[in-house]
Amino acid sequence: MTREGSGGSSLTASTTGLAGEPPRGPALEISGLNVRYGSVRAVVDASLKVEAGQVVALIGETGSGKTSLALGAARLLPRSAAVSGLVTIAGRDVSGMSAIEFRAIRAQLVGCIAQDAMAALNPVVPVGRQVGEVFAVHAGMDRRQAAEAAVAALAQVEIRRPDAVARLYPHQLSGGMRQRVMIAMAIALSPPLIVADEPTTALDVSTQAEILGLVGDLRARMRSGILWITHDMGVVAELADWAAVMYAGQIVETGQVEQIFDAPAHPYTLGLLQTRRDLRSGPVGAPLFQIRGSPPAPGEEPAGCPFRPRCPRATQVCADVNPALEPVGTTAGWPGAGHRAACHHSGTWS
Amino acid sequence: MARALTRRLIFGLIAVIGVITLAFVLEFVVPGDPAKAIAPRANSSAVLANIRAQLHLNQPLIVQFADYFGNLLRGNLGTSYVQHQSVTSLIGPRLLTTGVLALAGVIAEVLIGGALGILATLYGRVRALVGAINLTLLAVPIFVLGLLLLLVFGFRLGIAPVTGGAGAAQLALPALTLGLIGAPWYAQIVADQMQDSLASSYVRTAVSKGLSDSYILRRHVLRNVLSPAVTMIGLDLGSYLSGVVTVEVVFVWPGIGLLAVNALHDLDRPIVMGTVIVGAVAVVFFNLVADVARMFIDPRTREEV
Repeated sequence: MTREGSGGSSLTASTTGLAGEPPRGPALEISGLNVRYGSVRAVVDASLKVEAGQVVALIGETGSGKTSLALGAARLLPRSAAVSGLVTIAGRDVSGMSAIEFRAIRAQLVGCIAQDAMAALNPVVPVGRQVGEVFAVHAGMDRRQAAEAAVAALAQVEIRRPDAVARLYPHQLSGGMRQRVMIAMAIALSPPLIVADEPTTALDVSTQAEILGLVGDLRARMRSGILWITHDMGVVAELADWAAVMYAGQIVETGQVEQIFDAPAHPYTLGLLQTRRDLRSGPVGAPLFQIRGSPPAPGEEPAGCPFRPRCPRATQVCADVNPALEPVGTTAGWPGAGHRAACHHSGTWS
Repeated sequence: MARALTRRLIFGLIAVIGVITLAFVLEFVVPGDPAKAIAPRANSSAVLANIRAQLHLNQPLIVQFADYFGNLLRGNLGTSYVQHQSVTSLIGPRLLTTGVLALAGVIAEVLIGGALGILATLYGRVRALVGAINLTLLAVPIFVLGLLLLLVFGFRLGIAPVTGGAGAAQLALPALTLGLIGAPWYAQIVADQMQDSLASSYVRTAVSKGLSDSYILRRHVLRNVLSPAVTMIGLDLGSYLSGVVTVEVVFVWPGIGLLAVNALHDLDRPIVMGTVIVGAVAVVFFNLVADVARMFIDPRTREEV
């Protein structure tokens, strides 16, 4: 697998996949996104950018708001969620569109890959039909054409004997195959943005590697931007160009994957990495590193930095002021401008 | 799939034979002398003994049962003690009238219940109202509802016939009664399934594909709701065909239920046995039909052993 630069602008893709329409602007740009469920704030003032051809990993533990952020951006949250903020996909402001307006073009703009493909596929509809309906509804194809396009789409995600597989139901496929079907649906109309919600978490390690390889190939071919939600730092290292770390609904650190791995600026990020390092190379029998304490409960919003109660470096200022996401590593000429963290002490300890 | 069906068919047959045996034995233990029922005014014991001998009632139970079963295998359900006609010729037309009522009743309960369930799911404002309707219908005894409908539509408004019989006009009220009594169950199952389905991950996937709400309801939600409803339809058809006694009595609908009640009264054992057998076969048969229908709707059930 090849590694691209941060911006993805150096990528020269052979096809744009956008039916002759070149991608305009970044694949996804979120600014000031807030998601709340009643009085619970799931995402707080999050801003994020995914360039075309770039994989951005959204990292965080369960309940950190990463799925709310991604689904909020893709307008897939239930009506009980209040979403505000600006979301632009390939240069189009989708947050301002009406539901009907967005529905007409959403499959052209954003493809979604769910975590549990078994649940995300309709159990009583053959998978070929489920892929084909995207073409039937959006590409104006009749039933037969859509079925053929579905078979072609299944072939694209390297499913062998796609014509036979198209007639099968989800429960007749392996986990890896189901996830490929999901991917085929997501990329059916070659959208500039793909949102993937932990798509490899439910898979065994070798299938996971296959799916990661497939996504890598597709990214290079289609130049779509990919927002990849995960809590697996190994996947981040392998696949992502850029990473954003979420904690308690806020993005607490963002930067190139190399920057995040080599010089984490937020103690929470450091903790995540430390856990992984201990697992990989720590002495046998030694206790694993663990971030002490637990994240704030939903709805609980302590003053100051949300990570303060768990943070080994917290001082008085952390209790008083919630730090803003600010540039770190101001060394002149540092190639990875854009590394930012929300920590009062990010400059003083890493 | 074929193997699973064969298995179910065999189990069904065993169930039918079990029901026949049980009914036969039960009838035997029930106090009362059919001979006296046939000739209530006969005062000589010789006449009664003669009748018993004619009907083989003086033979041991096991012999009577063997005789009965042997005749049954040849398609002979015996002759009515009271009406002196073959049981098959008596039950045949009754089965048809009850079948019409059962079908109309099931259609009514599916339509009413389905509509209530869909309304309650899609329109939050009517949810409480639908809940109240369901609870009321569940609480009303079936004969009270039947009489109430008869009173209002038959006597007060005069738009439904109040004389019994098996005509098209007479069908409306008993079918409506069955429909209203059965509707809450369908409303509940439809609402539950729809809510599950609408909250499911696969509906979110469908939304992410930019499909319209009505398309999603038709193509993705409905099929998932259908499967449990079909099972209930099979159960209802089977049990209604074995005689909707209360409804048939209230509306004097000349079906199997009415026949069975009268036969029980007369200790007319061949007819009672005949209606029991029809009921058992109907239940087994429609369960099997429902299973097959479910296999078509939900592919996951095809591989169940």
